[in-house]
Amino acid sequence: MKRQLIYPMEEKYQEYLSDESKMMGKANSISFPQSEEEILEIITKMRKSHIPITVQGGKTGITGCAVPSKGHILNLSNMNRVKEFIKTDEGNTFLRVESGITLLELKKEIRRLKNQEALFWPPDPTESSATVGGIASCNARGISSYLYGDTRKYIEGARVIHFDGTIKDIRRGEIAIPFLGFEKDLLDLYIGGEGMFGILTELTLKLQPKPKEIWGISFFFEKKEDVFDFADSLIRENLQGEKANLAAIEYIDKVTMDEIQKRKAFMTKLKELPDIAPEFCAMVYIEIHGWEEEALEGIAEVLMEMAENCNSDSNRAWALSGDTDIEKMKNLRHGAAECTNLFIEKIRLKEPRITKLGTDMSLEGESFKSVITKYETDIENEGLRACIFGHVGGNHLHVNILPENYEEYEKGRRLLKKWAKEIGEKKGKVVTEHGVGKLKKSIFLQTASRDYIEELERLKNTYDPIKMWNPGNMIEE
Amino acid sequence: MMKIAVCIKQVPAYSDGMMDPKTGVMLRDGLESILNVYDLPAIETALKIKEEVGADVHIFTMGPSKASAVIREAYSMGADRGYLISDKSFSGADVLATSYALTQGMKLVEDYDLILCGKQTTDGDTAQVSGAIAKWLKIPHVNWVTKIVGIEKDSITVSQMMEEEIVTLKIPYPCLLSVEPSIFIPRLPSLKLKIGSKKKKIEVLSLVDMEDKEEGNYGLAGSPTKVERIFPVHRTEQQKIIEKDSREAAKYILEVIENINK
Repeated sequence: MKRQLIYPMEEKYQEYLSDESKMMGKANSISFPQSEEEILEIITKMRKSHIPITVQGGKTGITGCAVPSKGHILNLSNMNRVKEFIKTDEGNTFLRVESGITLLELKKEIRRLKNQEALFWPPDPTESSATVGGIASCNARGISSYLYGDTRKYIEGARVIHFDGTIKDIRRGEIAIPFLGFEKDLLDLYIGGEGMFGILTELTLKLQPKPKEIWGISFFFEKKEDVFDFADSLIRENLQGEKANLAAIEYIDKVTMDEIQKRKAFMTKLKELPDIAPEFCAMVYIEIHGWEEEALEGIAEVLMEMAENCNSDSNRAWALSGDTDIEKMKNLRHGAAECTNLFIEKIRLKEPRITKLGTDMSLEGESFKSVITKYETDIENEGLRACIFGHVGGNHLHVNILPENYEEYEKGRRLLKKWAKEIGEKKGKVVTEHGVGKLKKSIFLQTASRDYIEELERLKNTYDPIKMWNPGNMIEE
Repeated sequence: MMKIAVCIKQVPAYSDGMMDPKTGVMLRDGLESILNVYDLPAIETALKIKEEVGADVHIFTMGPSKASAVIREAYSMGADRGYLISDKSFSGADVLATSYALTQGMKLVEDYDLILCGKQTTDGDTAQVSGAIAKWLKIPHVNWVTKIVGIEKDSITVSQMMEEEIVTLKIPYPCLLSVEPSIFIPRLPSLKLKIGSKKKKIEVLSLVDMEDKEEGNYGLAGSPTKVERIFPVHRTEQQKIIEKDSREAAKYILEVIENINK
């Protein structure tokens, strides 16, 4: 007997109306296809009835890309199989996977691959339940993008289903499309395309040889000036080498550390970490990836000296090595984001109009001190409270306002718009790795150039003329 | 100065469940190895005692040469000396042979006031090595220790978690304690100590160093028990899936909880 594919929205599917943005959407029906055939059957029905579709993966996004504004939800979490391991004559390795596979599942599958050397997929958002489809759709990155770069580099191909049911296998470098007077790889339309142009059913991921050695070091600071000096000196000094490199430099402020501490006892992955001493005003977490232990130790010794020069006691700095132990540090870093989400979730019980209020802005060329000081001064002037954590490289910080009521939420929203304007004027990025979705749409439209927006609208009209896919993301419908 | 020994083990980070069918020995090649997580609270207990009253903390582990990594990790936490009990003839050991080798090793170094062990290992899961060591040494042994209540000159007072009660015990030295994970949250390695651990000596004790040099008393040859088979449990029971609206589901869950202890 053929299984039922489409379900009407009932209370038990309530959770699928939201993602980690905490925006609440609307939908009339939902499906969980297990194959492309099922997807085609579903979209044919929806197309005939003129019903738009919002595609979901792990619902871990924080800008509402997966929150349905209307119509049907197509949840791809059951499409999580590994299809093929490819090794080329040149020694490059790829893994073709269905787009609903989570990062956690992907890591396990890569570990099982029969290959002479260990491999990994460099993009590493800290939320391991994120799907590769969602990561690709937002061009999400992770803390190690400092070393490994943009996620696009590690996606070699995609299988896309279009509004009319046609399926296309797109490989990097095969087809170029015009974009603002330049040529853009067609694949890059879909990566970061927030599901607006077609469904990604499969992705071909480019794997890399896994570094043999990984160290994670957390330095703690009692004074702001010291952590600023340390952060700026890390960017100034070239510590990258042939056998070992700095892969991540992450900042976590006191408000964030305090929020983590409050919730630590109830968070499985954090409750076994030691408490962070209350006298610390900030921490910097650094990952070193490399091939020879001596090279990593060499970098660690230099970092130790730099930190000591900035009054950070290396007796109290945490240092771990190996995948399993590094996870503890990654969990702490992830805890920063998770705690802000939990804060918003709790406040929403009193005030459901409140959503996540975090930034994803980056600004090269300014000192870390000036960027943090600016954020902190503005927050204090508004009488607000905020967690500040994120990537020291590119001053790519996630400032998460913690509103206690709707008035503070509105103040926070105005502050985010102000920062977006200021950063836009300085040629910084207003949206860097979280996507635009629905939550960041107004600041994106406020700061992006008219040409850029029109180009996106043109491409939307070309690839999705009936406006089937992910209504409400990025541009006005 | 108090003399404390902590017995620890290097284990695979995860299990592929692969076993040599002939010998019943776990195949660990190529898997990431870590310090057994249950041993971390034991090391932390030793270090807390060291901070409180002063002590020399010595680490013992039995394994191949790569197991020295766990001693270095213990150094990074603050341990003072480390001994790797390593010999080809020690491999494939069960609880009896493992505890014997560890005991032989410890006897070469010191008469310890206190020996600390973790609750169990994540690969063997027997939780018996601690008791077996105590038996070899003919010293009192307390399992399920959740708290160090007091450290005295000739004894140590601890809380032991039994099934329905907590028992407070005062145990004279020398003694062996097997600690529960909840006893302390283990500190993370310090960067300074981790970098320094590379230069710190680890002494290797092999068969020729032991008082008992009879090969047949160690390793696979000295193991009266042998692993026949390792297999995942075959689940025969299907879980019931109940579908109700949220109010009815909440009432149902409450009924289930209320009925659990009846």
